[in-house]
Amino acid sequence: MSNVESFLLTSIVISLIINTAISLYGVFSKPSLIKKFIALTIFSDSINSFAIFIGFRRTSEAYPSIAVHHEIPRNVTEIHQFVSSAVDPLPQALVLTAIVIGLAVNMFLIGLIILFYKYYGTTNVRKVRI
Amino acid sequence: MRVSDIVAGLSMAILAIILSYLMVYGGLGPIAPYNLRPLAVSYLNYTYNPWEIKLSAMAPEGVTSIVWDYRGLDTYFETSVLFIALIGLLALFRGSNIVQGISNKGLSLIVKTTTKIVAPLILVAGVSLAYHGHLTPGGGFQGGSFMTVAIALIVVAFSIEFIAQKKITIDKLLIIRWIGLIFIVLTAVFLLIKALIFGGYAYIFQNMIRIGSQYTMPSWFLDRPLGGILFFFNVSESVAVVGGLSLGIVLLSLRDEEVKHVIGGEEHE
Repeated sequence: MSNVESFLLTSIVISLIINTAISLYGVFSKPSLIKKFIALTIFSDSINSFAIFIGFRRTSEAYPSIAVHHEIPRNVTEIHQFVSSAVDPLPQALVLTAIVIGLAVNMFLIGLIILFYKYYGTTNVRKVRI
Repeated sequence: MRVSDIVAGLSMAILAIILSYLMVYGGLGPIAPYNLRPLAVSYLNYTYNPWEIKLSAMAPEGVTSIVWDYRGLDTYFETSVLFIALIGLLALFRGSNIVQGISNKGLSLIVKTTTKIVAPLILVAGVSLAYHGHLTPGGGFQGGSFMTVAIALIVVAFSIEFIAQKKITIDKLLIIRWIGLIFIVLTAVFLLIKALIFGGYAYIFQNMIRIGSQYTMPSWFLDRPLGGILFFFNVSESVAVVGGLSLGIVLLSLRDEEVKHVIGGEEHE
């Protein structure tokens, strides 16, 4: 493992952690619901990138191949070759599920925020007196 | 210095510390290892494996075979969550699908002409992404949301009145969504019904021959692998996603006056 490679991997991890923390700050302390929502989507995207990053692997080649057979394997040896160079497909599948559910919840939240704005005339939660 | 600021700063610090701890002490598993986890090795081994057909999904694409074969029930309930969220959206905007005073608005002629050229291309690319989901990266959900971009482009460029003029109502989109969901359920129980009629055993979400069941979905179409149920699931999921997400876009881009007409009835004190 070269030094450049480990430096890049570490910087990816640190930037993802910082991104997560900043988006959480946005969710907590921005008064506008739209800004809260944007921060929430950034939060979910950071966590999803993190999950995909866990599925990453290092190979002897420059980069691992995706979890797809490029050609139909003709014997068992080709399957073993494929397994030795492909990334983990499970985090990708789970992140796909997470993105779909996140999209559904986001659409519902946007609907709620639109109704909130129409009803109160503002999206600032601190100005609203119920 | 308010209390909320202190809480936000503390929670950010705690989150960063927990994540760093998990990374360093291996709570999240090894980061970027040279060897795969055993579960991933098994999935990759049996994604396309004609020599172990009782464990295989017979599709060259690893992610799609996990999504619709090995973890098919997960994906079914995920689709249900999407559907339930849309039902919630419909309940929020109930009765607001009446478009009155249809007029021709929208963006300029240049944008409209460009949209006429680009939107069919987006649709074709989305269809190819969805229907090759068992061979190349992609699948029903990705292709469906790709195709929804074309609908969103049309809504923005031609205005929402254009959609109403073309008689694309919320009910029709909901029916498209229902058709996709019903085909997903039918594909899931197809072999079970076959086994009930002809005798023998089968499972729901069964793809190839499994232990204790000799029924199988087609694994080849001419000279291409079909992946059994994966192809049918991808097709019906893309139909369901196009219907559902277009429904969301049409609902959320309602005209100002209509929304006011529906929900602005009572004044808040």
